[in-house]
Amino acid sequence: MTDTKLDLLQGTLDIMVLQTLDVLGPQHGYGIARRIEQLSGNEILLNQGTIYASLVRLQQRGWIAAKWGVSESNRKAKFYSITKAGKSRIKKDRTQWERVAAVMARVLSLGTQP
Amino acid sequence: MSALKRAWRRLLSLFNGHNLDRDFDEEANSHIDLAIEDYVQHGMPLSEATRLAHLRFGSIAASKDTHRDSRGLPWLEGFSFDLKHALRGLRRDRSFTLSAITMLALAIGLNVTVFTIMDAMLFRGFPLVQRNDRLVYLQERYPSGVCCISYADFEDWRTQAQSFEGLSYVGSASISVNAAGSRSIDTTAFHVSTNVFGLLGVPPLIGRDFTPADEASGAAPVVILNYRFWERQLGKRADIVGSAVHINGVPTTVIGVMPERFDFPTRQDIWMPVVHSSEVQQRGLTRRGFIAVGRLRDGVRPEEARAEIEAINRRLESDHPATNRGLVPTVVRYEQLSSGPDARVIWGSLWVGAWFVLLIACANVANLSLVRTIGRWREFSTRIALGAGQARMMRQVFVESLTLASIAGGIAWWVTTWSLHRWETVTESRFQVLDYAVDSRTLAYLLAISAAAALCSLAPIGRILQLGAGGALKGDARGVTHTLRTRHLSAGLVAGQMALAIVLLSGAGVLMRSFLEIVSAETGVRDPENVLAGSIRLPSDRYGYPSARTQYFDRLAEQLRTIPGIEATSLSSHLPIYGTNALTFEVEGRPGPPDRSEAVQFFTVDSGYFRVIGAPLIAGRDFSADDRASTQRVAIVNDSFAAKYWPGETPIGKRLRSINRNEPGDWRTVVGVAPDIMQGDAIRQTFKPLVYVPFRQQPLQVAFFLARVSVPMDSVAQEVRTRIEAIDGVVSLESLQTLKDSAAFDRDYMDPEHSELGKHATVAPVFAVIALLLSAIGLSAVVAHSVSQRTKEIGVRMAIGAASRDVRRMVFREGMVPVAVGAIAGLAAALAVNRVLQSQLVGVSPYDPLTMTSAPAILFAVALLACQIPTRRATRIDPVLALRQD
Repeated sequence: MTDTKLDLLQGTLDIMVLQTLDVLGPQHGYGIARRIEQLSGNEILLNQGTIYASLVRLQQRGWIAAKWGVSESNRKAKFYSITKAGKSRIKKDRTQWERVAAVMARVLSLGTQP
Repeated sequence: MSALKRAWRRLLSLFNGHNLDRDFDEEANSHIDLAIEDYVQHGMPLSEATRLAHLRFGSIAASKDTHRDSRGLPWLEGFSFDLKHALRGLRRDRSFTLSAITMLALAIGLNVTVFTIMDAMLFRGFPLVQRNDRLVYLQERYPSGVCCISYADFEDWRTQAQSFEGLSYVGSASISVNAAGSRSIDTTAFHVSTNVFGLLGVPPLIGRDFTPADEASGAAPVVILNYRFWERQLGKRADIVGSAVHINGVPTTVIGVMPERFDFPTRQDIWMPVVHSSEVQQRGLTRRGFIAVGRLRDGVRPEEARAEIEAINRRLESDHPATNRGLVPTVVRYEQLSSGPDARVIWGSLWVGAWFVLLIACANVANLSLVRTIGRWREFSTRIALGAGQARMMRQVFVESLTLASIAGGIAWWVTTWSLHRWETVTESRFQVLDYAVDSRTLAYLLAISAAAALCSLAPIGRILQLGAGGALKGDARGVTHTLRTRHLSAGLVAGQMALAIVLLSGAGVLMRSFLEIVSAETGVRDPENVLAGSIRLPSDRYGYPSARTQYFDRLAEQLRTIPGIEATSLSSHLPIYGTNALTFEVEGRPGPPDRSEAVQFFTVDSGYFRVIGAPLIAGRDFSADDRASTQRVAIVNDSFAAKYWPGETPIGKRLRSINRNEPGDWRTVVGVAPDIMQGDAIRQTFKPLVYVPFRQQPLQVAFFLARVSVPMDSVAQEVRTRIEAIDGVVSLESLQTLKDSAAFDRDYMDPEHSELGKHATVAPVFAVIALLLSAIGLSAVVAHSVSQRTKEIGVRMAIGAASRDVRRMVFREGMVPVAVGAIAGLAAALAVNRVLQSQLVGVSPYDPLTMTSAPAILFAVALLACQIPTRRATRIDPVLALRQD
């Protein structure tokens, strides 16, 4: 099963988390993990515990903030939201990523063109 | 967001770690709850949802670790966590911890002690002196062994030699000091060139240094005091500088006091400027000359300085053949001066010995920690299974080793200071000035070897790697762990320890035998335990005239004879065994000029001497009260002298005379022949030709009285003391003891090669015993561990009919095979190592068969004992219980 799933590149998880929070607003850890899995069309199957290392990293950089709150189902959960610094960061990351992706696509298509 | 801010947050989180951990736990639980809820809403049964939620989250422990690592300073935080964990673990395995710490602390302490002693013996030089390594010490010696330096020659060195920045002369003289006004003290003063303290770089603590003017003829007499003398004799009087003391009756101004701990070149009380009397100025060796010290110019090697001095002496030899023929200069460094020519080899080998002990201790600790790790197999494998990384496990082992080594190092520091202090008091010598201060170098060395010792307890790391590769919790932990490799490793360590123990045992053995050879040598004295002797010192101001001395000694003899239990008394200039400077001499009727290379010792003895020491004369008569200053000069020679100089003739009636500093003495007629008595051979192996002259023809100021006693010694000794005090209170009595006690080993009277033998013969057995004990502990631990690993196997064997004898044999074989291998390797090494000790040995070969057989015998006996306890445990195994295990 795992062979067919995507391995995450180093640093990509941080970008996904930021993007998720930017688009969907405050979320708890489980919500972020589930959303990433859904968005990837279940191509990515996270070891969900690893998301918390990413969250703490982003927090320390000041790109996201955390607060204990209550979920829709009345459960206590920690909610994460993107900060101003985080928003400008994800903008930069997005353009950066698109450029890298475009270059990669060009390079990888080299041999396949007639 | 600056990196600095981030670092700050990380640091903060370090101190808040506990709360953050709890926070994370809470968050993880809420995550799993949310997931379960989600799955249940999607129609999954609760049990399945719970399982899936946990599965998808992954290992909580692992994510906690990564969480912790990303938020804090992972290394530091991990360290404090590991430290706590390590301390808890060490406290739990109390017996392991105690034995490991004890072994390491002892071995490290011993090693640092030996290092410091070696440093003091070889490199530190005289205390407080600047740049000791640039100093050399010069003396001169006739082939007969007479030494030490002539001031006239020294002056030539000083004016001609180019190798030195400066040269200073040190002579010694017996003086009588009257400092406090009450009573004179007889002591030795050094007469020094006035530049000596400047050359050494040690200024006086109070007062001023000598100046060249103090040395000029007609200068007012001045003196600088030793701190010890100032403290003990003068109560550290603050106004001492500028006050006067009487030296040999002459008022002399004290101009300074040297700093505490400063002694040069031996431990004496007083330094005075050298007096340029005609006696000092004359060529040839005088009794006053002691040594010269030179500071080498930059870039000059000691060998070059020696070559230069030798060249000057060759010129002097041709210019002054009468006095300087055969006079050979010696130029040596500090370590050769203080500890003999082989000092480096000897102390180096003792240091190696201390390293052997440390290696044995390390091997033991390695073995014990290996055994302990195997005991904790389940703990480790469980933690790895729960997701803790291999690196984490290794770090924990590392922190544990470090903790062990630091505690052991701390205790070792205490052991070192204690044992150095003991060593200093036990080996104190008048003639040797050593600086045993514990300094930063000692500390640095201790830290370095403690760190090295920490490495030895890292042994289990290899096993953890294996565990990681092999996978955790797979199969029976017992089966996995006791591999053949572990067993070979343990056996190898045991064999190595045994080999080292053999090397130390046999080294200690030959050193001890040499020592015994010296102290138990035949001396020619009968029942030395029944002869009481003491040194009488008559102050020179009251007993300047020979007649006064004779009178005193007559009264002394009279008094002693009335003490019940004293059978006979006499006087002598030296005690048996000890020696005096040999004098050149002339035998009447021998053709040619007297041979300077030949010299014999002349001893002054009173009538009855040979009776008191129990060595009756072979021929002729004893001295008597009638051999006085006014009568014919007479002498008694010993058997060796008679045999060497008058072979086949009767010595009685022959004549001889001594030649002291080119002055021939009176002709003496031989009146008797004495049996050989050990005298003046430091290692007590050969009887030398001796000449005895009558006390009454040259009454001495310092002499020994001897008394043969037929009742218990203690009461007599007390009575002797009382009587001597009663005759004249100013006379000092020293070293009152039996001849047996005075014949004990005394380094101050040994030749340079063997002066340290007493120390080595004491230290080496201590090493050997510690090494033996440590090896025994190691062996016992390894066998015990093996037995506990094989409980099941032994149970099976017993169940199918093995007798306890068979089990015992099996366990013994496992223990003793490495012992035997180690013993053989050790013997081979010992043969090589003992050769190094050759120069120290007396009357015993470095390959001494007795030592070489008893060392392995002792080792095997101890090894058998060490195997005994685990073997007994093995034979008591109950097969039923053993098979039911697991």
